[in-house]
Amino acid sequence: MSLVLKDIRKSFKGDLVLDGLSLEVPTGKTLVLFGPSGAGKTVLLRLIAGVIEPDEGEISISGRNMSGVEPEDRGIGMAFQNFALFPHMSAHDNIASPLTAQKQTKSTIQSGVQSLARLLKIEHVLGHKPKELSNGQKQRTALARALAGKPDVLLLDDPLRNVDAKLRFEMRLELPRLIKDQQATVIYVTQDYKEAMAFGDEIAVINGGQVQQVGSPAQIYLSPANTDIARLFGDPVINLLDVTPKAGASGPHVLVSDQIVPLPENHLGDVDRACVLGLRPEALRFVGADSQGAIPVTVETEAPLNEKTVTLAVTARGREIMLSRPAGTPGPSTGPAHIGINARAALLFDRATGALIPAQDTKIEGKVA
Amino acid sequence: MSEIMLQISNVDKFYGPIDTGVHAVKDVSIDVERGDIIALLGSSGCGKTSTLRMIAGFEEVSRGTISIAGREVHMLPPVKRNVAMAFEGYSLYPTVTVRDNIAFALKSSGKPASEVAAKVDEIAEMLEITGILDKYPSSISGGQQQRASLARALIRDADLYLLDEPMGQLEPQLRTLLRGRIKYYIKERGLTAILVTHDQTEANALADKIAVMEDGEMQQFASPEEIKEAPANLFTGTFVGEPPMNIFDAKAASSDDTFAFSLQDGSELSFPRSAFASALQDRVMAMDRVALGVRPYAVQRSETGAAARVLANQWLGDQSHIAAEFAGGTLVLVEHDRADLSEGDEITVHLDASDLHIFEPDTGAAISHGAKLVG
Amino acid sequence: MQSVSTLERILRGTAISLVIFFFMFPIFWIFLMSFQTNETILRVPPSMVFEPTLTNYRSLISGTLEGSTATLEIRFMSNLYNSLFLSVTSVTVGLLLGVPAAYAFAKLKFRGSEDIAFTLLSFRFAPPLLVLLPLTIYFQKIGLADTYLGLIWVYQLIVLPLILWIVRGYFEDIPSDIEYAHRIAGHGFWSTFTKIALPLAGPGIAAAGLLAFIFAWNNFIFALVLASADKQPVTVGALAFITASGINYGQIAAGIMLSIAPTFALALYAQRYLVEGLSLGAVKG
Repeated sequence: MSLVLKDIRKSFKGDLVLDGLSLEVPTGKTLVLFGPSGAGKTVLLRLIAGVIEPDEGEISISGRNMSGVEPEDRGIGMAFQNFALFPHMSAHDNIASPLTAQKQTKSTIQSGVQSLARLLKIEHVLGHKPKELSNGQKQRTALARALAGKPDVLLLDDPLRNVDAKLRFEMRLELPRLIKDQQATVIYVTQDYKEAMAFGDEIAVINGGQVQQVGSPAQIYLSPANTDIARLFGDPVINLLDVTPKAGASGPHVLVSDQIVPLPENHLGDVDRACVLGLRPEALRFVGADSQGAIPVTVETEAPLNEKTVTLAVTARGREIMLSRPAGTPGPSTGPAHIGINARAALLFDRATGALIPAQDTKIEGKVA
Repeated sequence: MSEIMLQISNVDKFYGPIDTGVHAVKDVSIDVERGDIIALLGSSGCGKTSTLRMIAGFEEVSRGTISIAGREVHMLPPVKRNVAMAFEGYSLYPTVTVRDNIAFALKSSGKPASEVAAKVDEIAEMLEITGILDKYPSSISGGQQQRASLARALIRDADLYLLDEPMGQLEPQLRTLLRGRIKYYIKERGLTAILVTHDQTEANALADKIAVMEDGEMQQFASPEEIKEAPANLFTGTFVGEPPMNIFDAKAASSDDTFAFSLQDGSELSFPRSAFASALQDRVMAMDRVALGVRPYAVQRSETGAAARVLANQWLGDQSHIAAEFAGGTLVLVEHDRADLSEGDEITVHLDASDLHIFEPDTGAAISHGAKLVG
Repeated sequence: MQSVSTLERILRGTAISLVIFFFMFPIFWIFLMSFQTNETILRVPPSMVFEPTLTNYRSLISGTLEGSTATLEIRFMSNLYNSLFLSVTSVTVGLLLGVPAAYAFAKLKFRGSEDIAFTLLSFRFAPPLLVLLPLTIYFQKIGLADTYLGLIWVYQLIVLPLILWIVRGYFEDIPSDIEYAHRIAGHGFWSTFTKIALPLAGPGIAAAGLLAFIFAWNNFIFALVLASADKQPVTVGALAFITASGINYGQIAAGIMLSIAPTFALALYAQRYLVEGLSLGAVKG
């Protein structure tokens, strides 16, 4: 384990921000810290960096307890959300900063900065001051500076947040490879679930100062530990319908608008329990009225969303349901229609706690590389 | 019987003296029909907010005219233009509750209290702010303030609804749902709205027509479908679309029965001559080089075709984004299922002639979309 | 809209002229006075027409005052030197003490830091005389009365709070992330202070220094009470022109011109810094 956090507690002015948080990141792996704003992600990074100290708990890097170790002695590189470039120094001097701190020779510094600049395509602006750089160039300079010292642990605090959509997309494809090549242990903070899924060997979902779930992107998306996490991953957001499982001739099922949606066998124990049915918008599709289990709805509106068509429909009982389908595939844009539910993709949660009630036959495949 | 609700004619905006000051909006003309939702889309500094502020009357028009419902308004103060506006920075009145903020305009127009209350409740329910109606603006979150500001604008009776980045602060999980509801609300009532946004997802989801702006100039004014299928130039093509359009440098070459593009690394994409109109072939052959564009979702993996090597495969839950090394550059493709690929895998891709966009590489002007020559 | 802005322009122009006239006229009048003899100054009605003379400046620089009845020795040039020495040294000491203190108050929130910072500012609230009376007695006891060291020490009462509060605002304006980034890049606390905090607060430090210099230069009361003739700055030295045989308005005017010249030049040169530094200090402090 390259980085271990044990029972970290931290409060500011009486507000408990981190409440007994524990995490482990294996050497060379990337862990994404994902959570809504105010969840304590940035505080956690600062604790690891050593610029603030935890109230309680232990942080160790490569087996060494970090308590009392100054930030400059921790072997860390960090890229900040707002870049935090040194405004009075050129891009070159910004990137060179970790190398000058290590008292490297001039030629080592020169070649180190040049090779990073080439990698990040900012060679032509090395002489510029930060205020003369575009946002994209600032972001690349900040990344280069974080990488320059060849840190064991790399902390990336939402580095793509303040760059435009096009660049963000390019970096989303490029950055994971770049950081893999550094062979550092990486903590990547983001609020964008797509970034989380694209970057992470593992994702840790943080909320309320605690780790709510740690898992591969596939685990988190396909079997979220609770309704909160289910709502955080996926766009449009997962449909959550209050249901009560019943036992029938064909096994356990729930009723949605009087239509039977079958559940896996092991949910027999959950009959008559107050539950929430989670249906991903892409697991729903429009079907003919005569198809089995077709649920009658009224389509209110449809809108395109990243090469998908998202439909907002309302059931007879006034429940809103969102569906998404690949753009260009046919579907009703307004008026009455019927939808079918892919029962295998349905998730069942406990209504009181919001916790997932796992289905036995849910097999989570290995991660996508 | 379409009626022009908003007419912007040859409007210029200079900050500082006319002709020598900063030229923020350059000769922009837009006609908006009653009942349409229009999005002004662009990155920061493109002139979209200046344009909106000129419509609202917060900014003087340097040159040109603006008419609302057939009435020239560009010399009138904001209050006489009969427009409702939701501001990017919320701007709620801090001393009254959210309910009174929303009801403010209706109350001062002399509507009976019961009717006002009913309308406030209805719009609050739509925007999911029923629970905070009796709170003060300072005690609610940024996203809630933004929804309250939106409610205050939408509840009014106005000729035109101006929405300045109305969802920038909104909680991501609510965005898609509220977009759907707001669109339904506006369409149901036949309202006319102008939306300013830098977020193309929002523009695509809400707008009937999008005005893409860059550097003060309007690049294209068309429906989302048209912008996607027939971008007017390289800028619009690569700005709108997520992921962005793939662009490759190419040179056309033709033989008896094929029409081919030779790419930077020497490889060739060849198509039957029948796939392109002959006028198009003549035009492209006359050009030294072209910029060849293809949208990521139009790239198909196939048994045979051009070779590419996978650089990254990212599964995002409902889509896979795959980046592959192709013709000396990076080709991005999108699939709706989870793709079983990993770095280094060799794949073959097929590009259909009907999905190719050809641009003039220097001016960026579109030459053709699919088989059709532009203009 | 065009007509409104024209009217606005005229009104604004008039208002600015009035303000400039009100504040600048006395200086202009003194400037004229410094080239006149007492007779032309005191004639009724006053007039702007006169034959300019350099006698006032000549007698200040040579150190002899030719009165109507007798010749008087004055120490104007040594007073000028005292002013320069006291102001420069006080500001230097003030910066050496104040800048690190300001950094501590801005960035290291320690217990009671706010109270200490406020106490330091509160020195400025009390009338200087209140502090002076006991100080005079102490200084005489410990031998600091009528020494440069004692004066520089007392001048810190003026200089230090000013520097502290202006520079603190500048340090607070530096985003912590920038300093964190420097630390994480491997540099120590001291290096971060000198390489990041100091350069970035540079304009503020310059503004505070200039302003402190002007305040120190213009100080009257401390030196009046604590210093004898040979340590007095120009502000106090000007009193010498009020003689038994009358008041030498011409020399006073010339003395004022010479004594405001350095601060005036400095203020003009650093106008932009000053306004920035002050407004920031005002908002932050």
